[in-house]
Amino acid sequence: MSTETTEHHLPASDVAVNPPPRTGNPWLPTPHGVSLMARIELRRRRPSTKGYILYGILFAIVIAICLSAAIFTPAQLSSTNFEIVLVMVLGVGMLIAPSLSATSINGDSGEGVLAPLQMSHLTAGDIAIGKLLASWTVSVFALVALSPFLVYTFLNSGWRVGEMLMTIGAILFVVLTFTAVGLAWSAIAARAVASVALAHLTTGFFVIGTLIVFGVSTLLFTEEATQRDRYIDWEQLTPEAEEALNEAYMTGDYSALDPADYQCVDSEWAYTITHTEHVAWILLTNPAVMITETAPIVDPETWEEDGRAAPGLFATIHQLVSQARLGPVEQLDDHIVYDECAQLFQQAEASDMSDEELEENWAEEEARHMERQQEVANLDRAPWIGLGVTGALLVGSMWIVVNRLRVPYKKLRSGTRVA
Amino acid sequence: MTVTQEAPVLTDAIAVEGVARSFGSVRAVDSASLTVRHGHVTALIGPNGCGKTTLMLMLSGLLRPDSGEIRIAGHDPRTDSAAVRAAIGWMPDQLGSWDNLTCLQTLTLMGEAYRIPRATARERGLSLLRRVHLEEFAERPARVLSRGQKQRLSLARALVHDPAVLLLDEPANGLDPRSRVELRDLVREFAAEGRAVLVSSHVLAELDEMVDDAVFMSKGRTLGDDAAAMVADARLKYRIDALDPEALQAALTSGQVDFEPTATGAVTRIDGEANAAQALAWLVGQGVQVHRFGPVGSALEQTYMAMNEERR
Ligand SMILES: Nc1ncnc2c1ncn2[C@@H]1O[C@H](COP(=O)(O)OP(=O)(O)O)[C@@H](O)[C@H]1O
Ligand SMILES: [Mg+2]
Repeated sequence: MSTETTEHHLPASDVAVNPPPRTGNPWLPTPHGVSLMARIELRRRRPSTKGYILYGILFAIVIAICLSAAIFTPAQLSSTNFEIVLVMVLGVGMLIAPSLSATSINGDSGEGVLAPLQMSHLTAGDIAIGKLLASWTVSVFALVALSPFLVYTFLNSGWRVGEMLMTIGAILFVVLTFTAVGLAWSAIAARAVASVALAHLTTGFFVIGTLIVFGVSTLLFTEEATQRDRYIDWEQLTPEAEEALNEAYMTGDYSALDPADYQCVDSEWAYTITHTEHVAWILLTNPAVMITETAPIVDPETWEEDGRAAPGLFATIHQLVSQARLGPVEQLDDHIVYDECAQLFQQAEASDMSDEELEENWAEEEARHMERQQEVANLDRAPWIGLGVTGALLVGSMWIVVNRLRVPYKKLRSGTRVA
Repeated sequence: MTVTQEAPVLTDAIAVEGVARSFGSVRAVDSASLTVRHGHVTALIGPNGCGKTTLMLMLSGLLRPDSGEIRIAGHDPRTDSAAVRAAIGWMPDQLGSWDNLTCLQTLTLMGEAYRIPRATARERGLSLLRRVHLEEFAERPARVLSRGQKQRLSLARALVHDPAVLLLDEPANGLDPRSRVELRDLVREFAAEGRAVLVSSHVLAELDEMVDDAVFMSKGRTLGDDAAAMVADARLKYRIDALDPEALQAALTSGQVDFEPTATGAVTRIDGEANAAQALAWLVGQGVQVHRFGPVGSALEQTYMAMNEERR
């Protein structure tokens, strides 16, 4: 290069720019910064050919499942297919978005493209939220791609539009939160392998781990109860009496038995009552449970008149969760004491009052059962604990990310350089 | 800040006093002091691992010093690090680029990150690409660039917001000889535009012609006056080679000139070109057959070698 050429270019390079002055050390996100950061991320993280193939395979599997869900739609209303598609949206979102965000910060820092951005007018908040939204948008793409199935199965599901939007909103919120968790891990861990693994472990803990914790902690809230029954003491029987008793059992005619021949014994047995109501909140922190708790309540008796489908996947989960929230049925006191002796020797009287009374007994029990089922199925939905936990996780994660991105650094991630 | 007390701070683009920073037990920068004035180019010279990059990171407002005072264009990075970052164009020693984006997109987005309107940022990006001779690559993705080209893109990126202070961390790394000459001219241009430039490098021969001042660094410390004296001294040294070295040395001894004998002649100190011409005439007049007479070479390189410090 000769000096003339440089001088020749000099005027052109003097495109005047005057970036606004700044003072202090702002960190709050701004609309301009967030959208610019998200734009940069979306452009530069366009997947490679390999990436497209991987997404293609994942997508083919999901579409196959959704297709079969759509094809095997029974004639009457059924919500299960729609719910399967919702689960797919959640699953794809929870797999892809946190994987992307979990390599976002340590990856950039390793490639040497993070520090130049931190030098610019982008604040820590801009970078954090821009990256969060960019990764999360990918799961929105998944939702859009699956929307034909979603709409098709929705039409036959007995859900209302508002209910669908609410549950989809809950799903996107959960995905956003776990994307933020991935981002937080990528701000903490130096290596991408570690942060991706930790991100998925966290997701696994909240989705599966809470179920295990719930199961284990129910053991802490058990109550021993005893029940007493009466039996004929077979060991004390004379052979004749035993034979007579066997005979009587076979024929059903107990009149020939002489009560004096038979000794009665009391037998006590213990059983465990688990008070799940004390630990049901652990279940409610589960994000998947939180999502199903936003689904509409389906009354197991009146669903047809209500224009609903029969209780499907989500309604069943609601029932199980409600059972745990309500705890065991009041007392097992309605347990009828089994008294062999009384049965045998009052058979005469018993048989008189039987049929109708028995029927009545049965009906009563049936009614109690139905009532319980009603109570369980119609118990108020309880997404609030889950929403609270998810929200706290989101805010906490983003707080970590912003703090880790603020410059000047006091402490560096161990084993890393700024540049 | 009180103007009366710290008047020099206002004129110096970079003023650093007693800055230190450790990473755990590693004391990366122990005590660094330097000043760079607007329109001046200062070299930061030292062996690998002596703390040049760490010092530049602290100057750029990315890393907090453990102690010491820094002023960049009058701002303190501790209280006003956004202003410091806005004033600085930083070219890191680690080359990073957005592989999927073209060179022009990179510069445009970077400009937008400095809140420059997109159209202006794009125009400035184009002119900067021309300035670093990457205009053919404007529309090509950054991943196809060679190392030297990435280096130049990185230099252009440091200039998108027209900074008053430039920190160039080993900008000559990976450049071919021609690009180094171009870099030298560019750096001189930057200084002529009134920017303060701090360049770290170990390609010392190139620095000699590029810089106004040099700051030597060793084991995390800047060597102040000692090193400056050594550079000044090194600039005086002349090498004289004669067909008969012993005759040369005898002539110098008889003339009572201080010299260091070498295998082919001698090295002596001469202050100024006029004195050099006189000395040569005198030697020839003494009948010494001089066949080589000139400055010893890169003053920076001599000083660097003379410092004789271990590498880390
Ligand atoms: N983030 C870091 N963590 C731990 N040690 C570091 C870190 N950055 C630099 N160092 C150490 O500090 C010293 C100075 O490093 P650096 O400033 O990069 O040297 P230079 O740029 O002069 O080659 C080196 O010994 C290096 O190992
Ligand atoms: Mg370095």
